[in-house]
Amino acid sequence: MSFVRALVAAGPSTGLAAGRITASRLALAYRWHSTQSPRDPLLTTEHKEHLIPEVQVRSPGARIYTAADEPGKDFDPYKDGPSAVDKAVHLFFFTEIIRGMWIVLEQFFRPPYTIMYPFEKGPLSPRFRGEHALRRYPSGEERCIACKLCEAICPAQAITIESEARLDGSRRTTRYDIDMTKCIYCGFCQEACPVDAIVETQNQEFSTETREELLYNKEKLLANGDRAEAEIAANLQADHVYR
Amino acid sequence: MVSLARTIRNIRRVGLREWWRQMQYIGDAKSGRLVGTDQFGNRYFENTNPEEEVPGRHRWVDYAQHEYNATQVPPEWHSWIHHIRKDPPTQDPVMQNLSPPWKAPWIENLTGTRGAFKTYNTTKPKYEAWEPKAIPRGQSSS
Repeated sequence: MSFVRALVAAGPSTGLAAGRITASRLALAYRWHSTQSPRDPLLTTEHKEHLIPEVQVRSPGARIYTAADEPGKDFDPYKDGPSAVDKAVHLFFFTEIIRGMWIVLEQFFRPPYTIMYPFEKGPLSPRFRGEHALRRYPSGEERCIACKLCEAICPAQAITIESEARLDGSRRTTRYDIDMTKCIYCGFCQEACPVDAIVETQNQEFSTETREELLYNKEKLLANGDRAEAEIAANLQADHVYR
Repeated sequence: MVSLARTIRNIRRVGLREWWRQMQYIGDAKSGRLVGTDQFGNRYFENTNPEEEVPGRHRWVDYAQHEYNATQVPPEWHSWIHHIRKDPPTQDPVMQNLSPPWKAPWIENLTGTRGAFKTYNTTKPKYEAWEPKAIPRGQSSS
C-alpha cells in the first residue's frame, strides 16, 4: 500500500515503469485495494498540502563533527608515552613471562593447600544442608505431626506424606518418603517445619551405588535422626540466636 | 611431600612406626596432639600451630579400619573434624547435654554391601488381592 501511496505522491511526471498509468487510474486502483472511504485526504489533490507539516527541520548542514567537538575527548593520554609496540615488546615478550614464572616458582616452594580427604576435611557451616533426618522430642516422641507444610513448600516435590490418627488419637505420618534424587537441598522443608521435625543434617557422605537406596522412607529418616541427634541439636543450639 | 625439614621433624616426633602407618594412609608425616578416640577406635589429632600445619589441615583422623571410609566418623566427631564445633565432643558440654538417652549407634554408609538400605512401603496397601471364598455345595450362603 505504501508503494501505491508513493506513486500518488510522486505523480505521473516521474514516468518510470508506470509511465502510462495516469493519476486517476492509480487512484482507482488505490480505492479498490483500500478499505478506506473515498473521501480519503490522500486522494484529493486539494487537500494534499495537509500532508506536509510546516516544521522547520534543523539539520547540521555541511559542518562535520569530530571527536574534538565533544567535551573531554580532545585529551590524548598516550601522547607523551612510549608507543604500543614498545610496550608490547617490553611487557609481553619479556617481563610478563618472567613475572609469571616467578609466581609459579614461589608456589613450588610453598606447602600445598591440598586437604587430604577423608583424613582431613574442609570446614562446614552449622547451617549446612545435607542428608535429611526426622527428629524426636527428648522424650523419644517423634516430632512430625503430618502438617504437610514441607510437602507443600518442596520445589522439587520430593516429599510424599500420608497420615493417619494413631491409637491414642494423635495424628502422625504413616508415610514420609523423600526422593533424595529429586531433592535439591534448598532447605525449605526445615524452614517450613513448625516443630523442627525435618532437618537437614551436616552429613554429606551418603552417596550410594544404586538409585533405589536414595528413596528414603520414614524409618530411614527417623534412623538418621536417632543416630545424629546430638550433632543436630548442637547445631541448632549454636544457630538459635540467629533464628 | 611438603618439605624435607617438616618430614624429618614429624618423623622424630611420632616415631618410625607411626610414620610408616601415616605413610600407608594419610601419605604425609603429621604430628600433633591426640585429642581423643571414638568408640570405633579412630584417633583424632590436632595441631593448631600454623608454622607446622597449614590452617585447614590442622585436624585429622587416623581411621582404625584398613578399609577406611569417611562415614566411619560418628556424628559427634564429624562436627569436630568438619570444624563445625570448636571443642571435641569429649570436652563439649553442649554436645554432651544434648545427647538423648535413645541415641542410636552410628552405622557407616553401607552402600555396596548387603547392609545397604533398601526402601520399602511404610503404609498399608490401598487395595488388596481378591481372595475368592467358595462356599461348599449344600450349605447356605447365609
